[in-house]
Formats: sequence, structure tokens, C-alpha cells
Amino acid sequence: MVIDFSPFFGQSTPLDRLFEAFYTPAMSISQRPYAYPPLNIAEDNEHIRVVCEIPGMEISDLELTLTESSLVIKGERKTAQGKYYRQERPTGPFQRVVNIQGLIDRDKVTARMKDGVLEVTIPKTEASIPKKISIDIA
Amino acid sequence: MNQDTKTEEKSLPRVKPATDILETDDGFFIYMDMPGVSKEELIIDLNADEIKVSGKTAYATPAQGEKLLHVEFGNGEYYRGFTLSHIVDKARVKATMKNGVLELHLPKAEQAIPRKIEIQAG
Repeated sequence: MVIDFSPFFGQSTPLDRLFEAFYTPAMSISQRPYAYPPLNIAEDNEHIRVVCEIPGMEISDLELTLTESSLVIKGERKTAQGKYYRQERPTGPFQRVVNIQGLIDRDKVTARMKDGVLEVTIPKTEASIPKKISIDIA
Repeated sequence: MNQDTKTEEKSLPRVKPATDILETDDGFFIYMDMPGVSKEELIIDLNADEIKVSGKTAYATPAQGEKLLHVEFGNGEYYRGFTLSHIVDKARVKATMKNGVLELHLPKAEQAIPRKIEIQAG
């Protein structure tokens, strides 16, 4: 059969995943390693950037909502019909909420999807960008 | 400098992509979740009875002045191999990469498709 029943392939029991979670440095930073979809949050002076791994979804199938203080990523992963020998890919509806603190420019939020990776860029408002003020000493 | 980048590449964690294998009327389908891998970065090797799939992600390193606040995934190298059955028609194996999901279509060989035999009354 096409299935990899050989003992060297495809071992991914929950125990394996637990070990992987311990040994992956990225996971140890994360507070919630099993939340789906996994996401990274980065920030610079002008933007907040949320990057998210959601393979197999069109950007039009995703529901992105920006509320007062959070960004909600919502969607549903569908499966193909057939006789399954192995099913590891997550299916079904998912949702993740990212809390955002600080002032954001909600009209200029952009989102794009490439190779199953969603990137949402949220610009901060002028008011929240730190400014340097030089003080003249008299 | 060159040495540095080399060691960095080596230390990429190897990830087994989550895989679905299913059978339909027109053959087998293998779906693999490989987010972050572009079509150009994907390598599929079909060698006799073995098919090997690998691909690297190339996420941009944080720009100057950018802080990572929360990290749950990073760069990795996907790798997985499968043994194909003899009933798969290897010449017609098709691969499609879309939105970070690799779809391998493995059609069954002609002689493996069950056929009804008509009985003629003598």
C-alpha cells in the first residue's frame, strides 16, 4: 500500500509531540504550544505584525475581525472525501484571538497570504509612536 | 561569513509535515501541510518505490528595530518519505502545491482497477 507502515517513518504519537515540544526552543518561549493556528507576533515602532501558519486556506475563506482591542482570526479547514488511511492534518473550525494594546490605525490594516502563511500588518497611530524631544538646557 | 550561514542551515529543525493519505476511486491522494514552503523550494524525489518530499521555509529574519513579542513557530525543514505500492502508476504521479499544502495524486495502474466481467449467455 501507499502507507508508510515502516517503523522509521511517520512516528508522531502524542508522546513524540510532547518530546518535540520540550526540545524545540520556539515552543518553550510560547505559553500555549498547542493552540491552533500557531502565530508569531512582532513589533517595531510603527507596526505590529502578526504572522500565522494556516496551510490550505484561501484568504477569502478566513474571517479576520478587528475589534476594539483584539484581532480575531477565524476559519474552517475542510477535508477531502475518501477512505482515510492516515489523518494527521487538523480539520474543523478554528479561532484565535490576539490582544492588542495601544492605539492602532484600524483603517490601514493589511493582510496577505502566501504559501499558507498569513501576515497581518497593523499600523500604530501617530500618537503611539514614541518621539524624541530634545530638551535644551538653559 | 559563509561558514556561519552554513552552520545556520544545518541547525534547522527537521519537521515531519502533517500528512493525510486517502484513497478515492481514481487513486490515492497524499496531502501534506507545508506552510511557508514555496513551489520553488519544494523537492520531490521519486526513486523506484520510494517518494521523498522535502522543503525548507524561508521566513524573513526580523528587520532592524523589530522585536519578537511572541513566537510559536520558526524556520524548519520539512522531510518525509513514503513507500509506494506496486499498484500505483508511477508515470502519472502528479504534484500540486497550493497555499502551503502539497497534493500528490497517485493514480492506480490500469490493471489494478477492478473490472466487472460480463458473462455472455451461450
